[in-house]
Amino acid sequence: MSKRIAIVEDEAAIRENYAAGFRREGYAVDMYAARKPALEAFEARLPDLVVIDINLQDDIEGGFELCRRLRQISEDLPIIFLTARDSEFDAVSGLRLGADDYLTKDISLPHLMARVAALFRRLDAMQRPDSGQSLVRRGDLELDLDRMTVRWQDQSVGLTLTEFWMVHALARYPGHVKNRQQLMDAAQAVLDDNTITSHVKRIRRKFVEIDHSFDAIETVYGMGYRWLGSQ
Amino acid sequence: MNLKRQLLLVSLLTLVLPWAGVQFIRETETALRDVQQQMLAGTAQAIADSLAQFPDEFLQPAASARFGTGQVYAHPLEREPLLDGYYDDWSTSTDNLQSMRGVDGPIRYVLATWRSQLWFYVEVPDASVEYASAGDDRDADMVSLTSVSPNSETTEFRFAPEAPGRIVALRGGGTVEQRVAAHWQDTPNGYQLEGRIPLQMLGDSLGLTIFNARPGDSRVRSSTFSSAQPGRLVTPSALLQSVLRGYVQDGLRLIVTDRDGWRLATSGDIARGGPLSDREQDNWLRHAYNAILEPGEEAELAEPDASGREQQRYIESAINGSAESSWFRSAQTGRAVVAVAQPVWSGNVQTGAVILQQGTEAILSLRSDALSRLMSFTLIATLVAAGALLGYATWLSQRVRRLSRGARRALDDNKAHAALPSIAASDEIGDLSRSFASVLKQLGDYNEYLRSLASKLSHELRTPLTIVRSSLDNLEHESLTTEGRQYTDRARDGVERLKNVLGAMSEANRVEELVQHAEVETFDLDKVLNSAVGSYAAAWPQREFEYRCELSDAGMRGAPELIVQMLDKLVDNAIDFSSDGDAIIVSLSADEQHLRIAVSNPGPPLPDKMRGQLFDSMISVRSESSSQHLGLGLFIARVIAEGHGGFIRADNTEVGVTFSVALARG
Repeated sequence: MSKRIAIVEDEAAIRENYAAGFRREGYAVDMYAARKPALEAFEARLPDLVVIDINLQDDIEGGFELCRRLRQISEDLPIIFLTARDSEFDAVSGLRLGADDYLTKDISLPHLMARVAALFRRLDAMQRPDSGQSLVRRGDLELDLDRMTVRWQDQSVGLTLTEFWMVHALARYPGHVKNRQQLMDAAQAVLDDNTITSHVKRIRRKFVEIDHSFDAIETVYGMGYRWLGSQ
Repeated sequence: MNLKRQLLLVSLLTLVLPWAGVQFIRETETALRDVQQQMLAGTAQAIADSLAQFPDEFLQPAASARFGTGQVYAHPLEREPLLDGYYDDWSTSTDNLQSMRGVDGPIRYVLATWRSQLWFYVEVPDASVEYASAGDDRDADMVSLTSVSPNSETTEFRFAPEAPGRIVALRGGGTVEQRVAAHWQDTPNGYQLEGRIPLQMLGDSLGLTIFNARPGDSRVRSSTFSSAQPGRLVTPSALLQSVLRGYVQDGLRLIVTDRDGWRLATSGDIARGGPLSDREQDNWLRHAYNAILEPGEEAELAEPDASGREQQRYIESAINGSAESSWFRSAQTGRAVVAVAQPVWSGNVQTGAVILQQGTEAILSLRSDALSRLMSFTLIATLVAAGALLGYATWLSQRVRRLSRGARRALDDNKAHAALPSIAASDEIGDLSRSFASVLKQLGDYNEYLRSLASKLSHELRTPLTIVRSSLDNLEHESLTTEGRQYTDRARDGVERLKNVLGAMSEANRVEELVQHAEVETFDLDKVLNSAVGSYAAAWPQREFEYRCELSDAGMRGAPELIVQMLDKLVDNAIDFSSDGDAIIVSLSADEQHLRIAVSNPGPPLPDKMRGQLFDSMISVRSESSSQHLGLGLFIARVIAEGHGGFIRADNTEVGVTFSVALARG
């Protein structure tokens, strides 16, 4: 049975284009133009993944509201914000509401597909027992490539997909400087410099919450970032 | 010319006050003088009337036909001179000496009366003095007096000495006249002769003749008369003199002349005043009077004429029958003399003139007092007016200057809502201030609009861009011809470029947001810059990069990523405006409050007209050809610098341009 993806987007052309892309990948797609019909449908039956635009016509923050309601219904339903809003504040708000990813509409269709696939893969891996085969260890860091989860000093660090891919890119070869373009490619996204800076800051903050002395990600000014630590 | 000078110039108008005062004083003086002249004229009329009873003392017009040309005048002497051939003991002055043409130079002579004697004195220049030989004076130097009595008897007295010294006269017939004595004195260039004759031996006409003998030549005759008859001998009238003495007053001079202007009597003296004291002479007021008051004629002309014949215009006019007045002022002393001349009538015949002269001490003192008071009052008034205007102008120009400074500061700081001075004032400066404020506000709104334009535009364009892009992504999966594929590839290129433009436009907004919410950390700027410049060298191998730091401690608080981003923009800019092989120098220095980063590159200077706007949003000095730039880079640099409590500026150097950024340490 194919996975169901719901798209909540007020712009018909974008909606149809995304839907076409998803269908091509073999997903079933439901489309909604506004919050209310979407919510009514979700209450009847939850899809497997939801892509939400924040600004739904006159309902300016409608996407946020929808995300909040969905999280109340289901804890582990993957939710992706796909929006024209690129401000740091909106991204933080969206992620705080429990979204799995916050993407701007710059993202290309193949990148979006890759993310959706990754999210489903993660969901699948979560449901299987931990095989331990795909674990990567770098000192205190433990990456589970299947489940796309990170542990630091045996504590789980809640990273988004983009953040996970960045950490993975950095930690795979400790000591190597990764420039912004490399991180962007790894994260399968198109991000500007400031967004990368924000992402790295957010990643650090999440590690620091667990370990106050965390300083494994070093900024190499003018070049990029590198992971400090042994292989 | 600034406002202060202009008002000061206007204050000069108060100098009209003294001018008006001077006009008033002139008027007053003229009026006072007129009154004095009228009083004098009245007195003169009375004297003239009383003199009419002495017609014999004046020459009757009918008698004048008897006389030849060349009248001579005998001055009254005050004491008797010594008969010694010298003039220095005469009470008349050398000015009274008359002159006539002589063969060896001008001959000078004077006649005078002392009691019943006629005195004469002659100075004759003579190249060779020829003395008479015993009894024969035909070829000798000779002085001769010719007189004709009313009954046409001619008398001649000849003085031709055989040697210098005391001589007596010879009558025309050759007889010696013992009563007529003279003294002959030789001088280096001739001789001089002093003599006296009892008046009763002479008629009422007299002529003086000099015969100059020259060896081997005939004698040359010089004479006071050229006709056959000698001219009239005018002698002062003792009777009139005594009559005048009765009219004389203090400060008043009376002169009586006959109808030819010859002075018959004179009495009294105008108070000439003593020599002026030093204080009076140095007084600037004195100079002021002379400069501003009507000059009048020179006071010297008021004195009795040295020749004995009064020839001034006002006297001439009186002699011609009409009363006339005049006034004199000495340029040196400023003292004025008022004079009137009145004809004397005897029956229907005008026989002479009376002249009255009086000083104007009273008017002078009145005028001087008024003038000095006027001067001090108007001076005070002028100073007060000028001072008040100056103060007012200072206050006014200070307000204007404060306003212009305030407006400039508001403009420089981009603070459109800064309070301007005088904004509440109800005068024109207040109006100006309010219009400035509204202009500044509009400018601020416009800047604000420009600033948000980029981010609004990028936001609005993002949705249609997404439609195009996702459509292209979908099109990839459709079967297309090779040509169709080409077109989608081109469309994709265009979308990519559009996306970059939108990214740049929203970047400024993002940076502003980041600056506001930046997490401040303490870091070493030197290290950050060192690392960043190292990466530029790797990224742009066609430029040389140099990093200079003179600081031992470059610690500061701020957001290092943002500072690197700012440096990126400045270096981008430096690279765009320099050419291959050029060296871009990044340096770090410090002053008391700030760390200073400077980025210098060789290249064309900044155009002056853009200097003020260089760091504004959407301003680019790049030429038309480079269309990719939206003019946001330097705006972002400025936002970051200002977010760090500093500022950014650009300067032209000898070889290129330097951008410098000051960042607050704490």
